Amino acid sequence: MNKSIAVIRLTGELEIGRKDEIAAALVVAGSESGILLDFSDVNYADSTSLAELLRFRDEAAKQNVPVAIVIGSKQFARLIQYAGLSHAFRIFDNRAEALMDLSQAGTE
Amino acid sequence: MTGYSELRINCLARRDAARPMRHAVAAFLIAAGCVDQETSDDILTAVGEALANAVEHAYDGVEENEVELFARLEHDHTLAVDVFDRGTFIQRAPRAGRGFGMRIVEAIAQAVTINVDDGTHIRMIFNVPHNREDVAS
Repeated sequence: MNKSIAVIRLTGELEIGRKDEIAAALVVAGSESGILLDFSDVNYADSTSLAELLRFRDEAAKQNVPVAIVIGSKQFARLIQYAGLSHAFRIFDNRAEALMDLSQAGTE
Repeated sequence: MTGYSELRINCLARRDAARPMRHAVAAFLIAAGCVDQETSDDILTAVGEALANAVEHAYDGVEENEVELFARLEHDHTLAVDVFDRGTFIQRAPRAGRGFGMRIVEAIAQAVTINVDDGTHIRMIFNVPHNREDVAS
């Protein structure tokens, strides 16, 4: 059976008040060939999101599921830099590049 | 910016309090008219982390206490933001996905002090442009 790329899209402000919602959304089913986290329309994020992203990344890695993240906000991109996590994630500016990366990862 | 202005907010220490408090600081910066978008984003990122730390870690499940934020634009073109709570500060090493908040604050603010004598008091100092023309340029 061919696996497909799953897309998880969150929008708005990813902050501590939405911690439970973010955690509930970032789940690896294990049946995906890759997961695209689409944060194109996230306009603010805090370290609560980073903690959940790291947990999700590790969970996906255990199941050999590649993850690509699309980040549209400069604030979110700088948050990752300030936290020293620039190399912790596969980050892209748009969905097309992220999907191409995941497609290539799936054929490796 | 030619004068002194300040903002003081008190909220119950709950997770959903951090967002409106941060939005109030955003409005305060817009009203001051002296901070460009990137600087404003960074200040709000740091303030958001201090608030998140206060509401997440300070009360250990007790919600009837308050978090206080006091921001002031000084004559010397600095913005000082204090976040107070009556809880116990938790300084975590940034590992296993936890403890990034203060690392982020320290990366953004020009100076950060943490006083834990009576609750937790985080003071952040930011440099801001001197006037509207600085923002426009």
